[in-house]
Amino acid sequence: MSASVILLISVCVFLAIGMPVAFALGLSTVTALVLGANFPLIVVLKETFTGMDSFPLMAVPFFILAAELMSGGSLTEVLLRFAGQFVGHKRGGLGYTNVVTLTFFSGISGSALADAAGPGSMLIKMMDKAGYGRAYAAALTASTAIVGPIIPPSIIMIIYALADERVSVGQLFVAGVLPGILIAIAMCCVNFYVSRQRDYRGDGELPGWREIVRTSWNALPAILLPVVILGGMRAGWFTPTEASVVAVFYALVCGKFIYKTLEWKALPDILWKSSLLTASVLIIIGMSASFAWIFTIENLPQDIANWLVGMHLSKWAFLVVINIFLLLFGIFIEPLPGVMVLVPILAPVASKLGIDPVHFAMVVIYNLTLGMITPPVGGLLFVTSNVSKVPMSALTKELTPFLWTHGVVLIILTFIPAISTWLPQVWGFKH
Amino acid sequence: MIDKFEYYFVAINRWLLIIVLALMSLIVFTNVGLRYLTSHSLEWAEEVSRHLMIWLTFLGCGPVLRYGGHIAIENLQDILSSAWSKALRALIALMLFVFFAFFVYFGVLYAQLTQYQQTPATQISFAYIYSALPVGMSLCFIHWLLVVRGYVGERRFAQDTQFDATSSASL
Repeated sequence: MSASVILLISVCVFLAIGMPVAFALGLSTVTALVLGANFPLIVVLKETFTGMDSFPLMAVPFFILAAELMSGGSLTEVLLRFAGQFVGHKRGGLGYTNVVTLTFFSGISGSALADAAGPGSMLIKMMDKAGYGRAYAAALTASTAIVGPIIPPSIIMIIYALADERVSVGQLFVAGVLPGILIAIAMCCVNFYVSRQRDYRGDGELPGWREIVRTSWNALPAILLPVVILGGMRAGWFTPTEASVVAVFYALVCGKFIYKTLEWKALPDILWKSSLLTASVLIIIGMSASFAWIFTIENLPQDIANWLVGMHLSKWAFLVVINIFLLLFGIFIEPLPGVMVLVPILAPVASKLGIDPVHFAMVVIYNLTLGMITPPVGGLLFVTSNVSKVPMSALTKELTPFLWTHGVVLIILTFIPAISTWLPQVWGFKH
Repeated sequence: MIDKFEYYFVAINRWLLIIVLALMSLIVFTNVGLRYLTSHSLEWAEEVSRHLMIWLTFLGCGPVLRYGGHIAIENLQDILSSAWSKALRALIALMLFVFFAFFVYFGVLYAQLTQYQQTPATQISFAYIYSALPVGMSLCFIHWLLVVRGYVGERRFAQDTQFDATSSASL
């Protein structure tokens, strides 16, 4: 049996019985080498090491740390008040507040789980108190948190750019802005219909302009963070990794001197938490790297690419096939190993068929992130169910309209490449 | 005795991580700052911070294991009877011990093989960097020993006030 086959069978078995993903990847690599290939085992360590030994990858720990520093303080409240003042008084107002707050928070954090666990959990509590269905609030939060990895900064985009040399982190970051806003608008539409059906009332009224200016001024430092990151990268002041470390110190200054909620003695805990999050992500990157390497010794990516190209699909047909495949794949597999293993195989084919690499990246990233809210295995569902204490079955039921809406947005993003590619082009983000 | 060992073991591991991440941030930030203030940069900054990140990952792998932060798909275990799911977890536990031992053994070998190679910028032996693998995986082995009974018995991990295990390892 060929090493790739052994690799795939063993990883499926290891994942199915519930072995942690990182070790399932590593152990299946070892299994494939022992049973199916004539290579010294030490290669596993070399490939794992090489997969992690990258300066661009360092943006991951720094963006995690920056988000932790930012969200440690009263920032969530500041953003919440800022978002709430515009939409809070409308019918379903807290629902809109939820969507807008999470969207702004996505400009600080790079992960969907951080959105759901941080401001998301707070908003679910508020919506529950205000008479919204708790399960509805949780479903809204989980499906909106998807914008976390779409709106910059984004951990998955950093990793995608490592896996496909046709795109740069800067390009992907900018490309995510419009799709992220589109998703947020779509979630607002669902909220509009559900709130009308169930008559979820708004609260208060539009505040005076003085009040608006004051709350907006308060929220400004937080909202500016993504602008600093993108602007600095565009101006050539810093690389993405340097931008991420600038974000760390920007967050530190904001928390300590502007919002004054960060205390020095809280720093060790924040660093501790961030390093654990980092380790849990990077170990998967390393193990996926050696896992994916097994394919390359048998030239599998090349073969699959030739086979796909040989089918003479049009680029639209290819995109449809990819969408279906990734949606199914994403139900079982986390986005992280998904990007590491699939992108090196699929991205070259897409580019050969004339699909813009940035457009393709957005489709893949959105697809794989959606896997986090598709039952039964969705990381985002677990977190939301956990922080909201809403049982999984109730959450899944309320999720249905959101999933359909995400489907529609996915179709739009797939067939209108300009939504992803226009902004990086006009803004002059080149490779 | 074991409790005391566990307490200090976790505490030392925790402080190592805190120091490494703080150092990484300081080095990279200082380098950006220096470049703008003095148009001069530290040529070793990138290399050192990259290698610190590798140490961070492997030093952090054990504590993440301890708190159950390595994501896994547990649906199958949930639908099986408790005896069967216990048996599965016992099997996983055993396989992880083997995996950690594998990494430690080959990690030591790898570090030995590369000890005469030197890093480009700082000219230190590569063994200091590759040691992250065996050291980290030994820590994993010990952390796993400390929590494995709770895991096999009832899929229970240690708790930490800061680290929410469900929100890790994913995006």
